[in-house]
Amino acid sequence: MMRPIALPLSVLAIASLLSMIISVGVGSVAISPAEVWSVLIGDGSGLQRTLVLELRLPRTLSAFATGGLLAVAGALMQVLLRNPLADPYVLGLSGGAAVGALFAMLAGLGGALVSGSAFAGAMLATVMVFGLAHGTGSWSPSRLLLTGVVVAAGWGAVITLMLAISPARELPGMLYWLMGDVSYARAPWAGLGLLALVCLIVIPLGRSLNVLARGPMQAAALGISVRPLEWLIYVLASLLTATAVTMAGSIGFVGLIVPHMLRLVLGNDQRLILPACALAGGTLLVLADTLARTVIAPEQLPVGVITALLGVPTFLYLLHRSR
Amino acid sequence: MIKLKVLAVMLGWMLLVPPGLAAPVCATDDLEVEVCLDHPAKRIAALSPGATELVWAAGAGDQVVAVVAFSDYPPAAKNVTSVGSHTRMDMERLLQLQPDLVIGWVTGNPSEQMAILKEMGMPVFSIEPRSFEAVSHTIERISVLAGTESAGYTEAERFRQGISTLKAQYDSADPVRVFYQVWDEPLMTVNGEHLIGEMIELCGGDNVFGSLARLVPRISAEAVVAANPEAILAGGMGEENRHWLTRWTAFPTLAATTQNNLFFIPPSLVQRPTPRMLEGTRLFCEKLEVARDRRS
Repeated sequence: MMRPIALPLSVLAIASLLSMIISVGVGSVAISPAEVWSVLIGDGSGLQRTLVLELRLPRTLSAFATGGLLAVAGALMQVLLRNPLADPYVLGLSGGAAVGALFAMLAGLGGALVSGSAFAGAMLATVMVFGLAHGTGSWSPSRLLLTGVVVAAGWGAVITLMLAISPARELPGMLYWLMGDVSYARAPWAGLGLLALVCLIVIPLGRSLNVLARGPMQAAALGISVRPLEWLIYVLASLLTATAVTMAGSIGFVGLIVPHMLRLVLGNDQRLILPACALAGGTLLVLADTLARTVIAPEQLPVGVITALLGVPTFLYLLHRSR
Repeated sequence: MIKLKVLAVMLGWMLLVPPGLAAPVCATDDLEVEVCLDHPAKRIAALSPGATELVWAAGAGDQVVAVVAFSDYPPAAKNVTSVGSHTRMDMERLLQLQPDLVIGWVTGNPSEQMAILKEMGMPVFSIEPRSFEAVSHTIERISVLAGTESAGYTEAERFRQGISTLKAQYDSADPVRVFYQVWDEPLMTVNGEHLIGEMIELCGGDNVFGSLARLVPRISAEAVVAANPEAILAGGMGEENRHWLTRWTAFPTLAATTQNNLFFIPPSLVQRPTPRMLEGTRLFCEKLEVARDRRS
C-alpha cells in the first residue's frame, strides 16, 4: 500500500522543489544561478541579498503556502459537500475576508491591520454560515452549501456597495486585493506551518474521508461518526482558506482545479489526494506567480490570470483524456 | 510650513558658513513622517506621474532614476527607467536602481509595497498635494531633500505668485455655476474640498456639486440637469472623445447647452497636482470668462 502513495508524492515533491528553485532564480533583475546559490549560503552582494532573501524567497514561499492551502481546502470542501463544483470560496469565506479587508482600507488602516481584519471577516463568515446552516432543523451538506452560497451572494453585494461608495482613489488598491496577489505576502511561515499541520491531521483520517465521499449513510453504516468528522473538515477547510485569503487576497481557481486534476490522474483516495494537493497547489501557484511577475516586467500581472491560463487547458486535456 | 521655511533658511546659513561638510536634510511628508537623509538624495524614484513632475519642478530632474507608467511630463521623464504601474510596482527593478529617496503617493501606491520598502530601510517621502499651496509646499520639501533648494523655492514661488495673480484677477468676477466632469461612465465630479474645486472657486465659479460629502462624488445625469449649470467643463478624455460633452446637447433646457458653454480642458493640466496647474487654472478661468461673455 505504501508504494503507490510514495511514488506520486515524491514526484510532486521534486516538482515543488524545482518550481521553487526556478522562482527564486528568475526575476526582472538577472541573477545567475551561481550568484543565487552564493546568496543562499550566506555570501553575495548587498543588492543580490536583498532581492533574493527579502523579495523572491518570501514571495516564493508565500505563493507555495497559499497554493497548497487553497488546494487542500478545495479538496476538503469537495468531500464535505459531495459537490464537484465546491471550491474554498463556495461558502462565502473569501467574501467575508474581502469585506473585512475593504473595511480596514476604507478606515484608512494599512498593512497588518488589513490582514487582521480580513482574517476576522473570514472567521465571522465561517461562524455565520455554520450557525445558520445548523439552525433549528437538521444539518446536511446541501443545507450548508445553500446557506453558504446565499451568504456569499450577500457578501458580494456588500463588496459592490463598498466599492461604489469608496473614494475613487482607493479603488485600485481594493480591486487588486479582490483579484489576489502574493506580492504583498511577507510572512509565509504561519501558512506553511498550518499546511503541514492540517496534512498531519487529515492524512490519518483519509480512510474515513474516502467512505464519507461516497455518502453519509454508508459512512455511518461502517461505524464512522459522521457529524463530528464533517464539522472537523469544515473547521479545517475554513481555517486553511482564511489563512490563504489573509496572505494573498482571493486567488481563484487553484482550489477548484488542482484537486480535480489530481483525481483524474491519481484516483480518488484522500490519503494520497490531500498531501498531493498541498504539493501540486503550491507548485502551480509558485510557477504562476513567477510568470506573473516576469512575463511583461516591469508591469506585473495578477496571478489569478496566470493560474487560470495554465490550469484551464491542462484540466480540459486531462478531462478529455479520461473519457 | 513655517517650520520648513525656518529649516530652509537655517540650511541656507549652514551652506553659507562652512562649505564642505554635507549636512543631513530633513522634511516632513504628508503622512506626518519626518524623512531625514544623511546627504541630499542623488538617486530619486518617483512613484507617480505627478511626483515625477514635482521632482522636475523642484529642479531635481537629473537625479530621477525611476518612474512609473504614464510619467509623460516633462518629456525627459519618458527616458527614465519605468518600474511598472503605480498600483503594482516591479520591486526588483526598483531596488536594482538603488534609489536613495522614494517619492510615494499616499493614496495611489499600495501601502503594502510602501511598507516593504520602509522595512528595508528605504527613505520613503509620501505626498498627496490637495491644494494650490500644497503643490508649492511639496516642491519646496522635495527640493530640500534633493539639495536643489534654490531651484525648488524659485519654482514654488513662481507657482504661488501665478495663482495669487489669477486669484486677484477673478476675485470680483460674477459667479458662474459650473459642473466639472471628471469621468463619463460613471458620471463623476469633484466637491469643494478637491483641488479642482479650489480651481473653480478661484476662477469665480460656483461648483454646483461643491457641497457634496465625497471628494469625487458619483452623480446621475438627472442631478446635473436639476442643478442646471451654466458651464460644463470636462477633462478625463482625450480631444477625440467629444461625446463626453456632446451628450449634454440632448438636454436643450440645460443652461450650459443653450449658451453653448461645453468646454474641453486638457486633463493633464487640471487633474495632476503639479505646477502645470497654473496653465490649467488660467485656461479654466478663461473658459468661465467666455461663459460670462455669452450671457448678454
